[in-house]
Amino acid sequence: MSDEQESIKARLGKLGLGTRREEEILRELSEHLADHAAALEARGVVPDDAAREALDTVSNWLELRREILSAETEEANMNYRTKALWLPALCALTLSNGLVALMQIFGHPPDSYWLGTAGWSMKVLSAYIVPWLILQSVVGAIAAYWSRRAGGSVRYQLLAALAPAIALLGLFVVVIPISIMLNEHGASHIRLSAFLIVTVTWVLLPAVPLLIGAAPFLRRPQAQS
Amino acid sequence: MTGIDIKIKRGSGELAILALLNQEPLHGYEISKRIAQVTGGVLQFNLASLYPLLYRMEKRGWVKGKWEEAQSGRQRRYYHLTPNGKKQLAPLRQEWSMFFQALHRIAGVAHAGS
Repeated sequence: MSDEQESIKARLGKLGLGTRREEEILRELSEHLADHAAALEARGVVPDDAAREALDTVSNWLELRREILSAETEEANMNYRTKALWLPALCALTLSNGLVALMQIFGHPPDSYWLGTAGWSMKVLSAYIVPWLILQSVVGAIAAYWSRRAGGSVRYQLLAALAPAIALLGLFVVVIPISIMLNEHGASHIRLSAFLIVTVTWVLLPAVPLLIGAAPFLRRPQAQS
Repeated sequence: MTGIDIKIKRGSGELAILALLNQEPLHGYEISKRIAQVTGGVLQFNLASLYPLLYRMEKRGWVKGKWEEAQSGRQRRYYHLTPNGKKQLAPLRQEWSMFFQALHRIAGVAHAGS
């Protein structure tokens, strides 16, 4: 591999399109830049400056990487955001809530350990809450890794990993207060303190292991800009 | 091209590339150079905007890239227009012609041929 190709590869990162196709793309792009640099040299630009100027015609290598991947894997209805954000976020949400469902199937009903009506016994805490919170780190890791593999930015990786907490935050902060306002009788017994406890328990608490799990995978997707 | 929407640029780029390759096979750098020359610099494609477009057109089967020896003696990837690409040329010309006629009617914008 030539120096130009190495230079492009360092900026573009691994494309995951197969060795042969990737080498072909690198070779083609490096030939283009070589031609561009040669044209600049013919106009009197010194070789080093010409090579640098040719490379600088690409202002955003990450965007070029995305565009190439999009072109090479053109899937009509699945755009970049779907692949890098919505799918991993949906996966995290499903896994996180699936674990809650399993806890409900095999354990205590949820109100016994969240709302405190039956108290926060150590048994419930150690048998259900702690394992669930620990497993949230795995959920966060899977979502962040998936998003990164799909070329997602660090912001998308974070959002995908935190999707379970964000979804419930939306539910608690928007839907529940509105339902309380609209339904005077049915939900009036829900006190503010209970509402806050639920929000902290279901949103803030799981957000911490989700973030911890995602942290090792949070980086730009195998490319330098 | 400042201010012109990227989708318009992409669509016009597809037509420009198909029209150029209809004359002869060209490699990427030649395509970008030829587009800039013929359009007087109005349409310009650099590496970042050209190759994703070429790869997309290749995926659709409109063009086919082949490594061939250039006049310089270096191997270059020449893009050939496929029969499928040839079929796209006429409707794309028609579409853009209608687009400019519509713009002309509404805003007095005339295309180069008028």
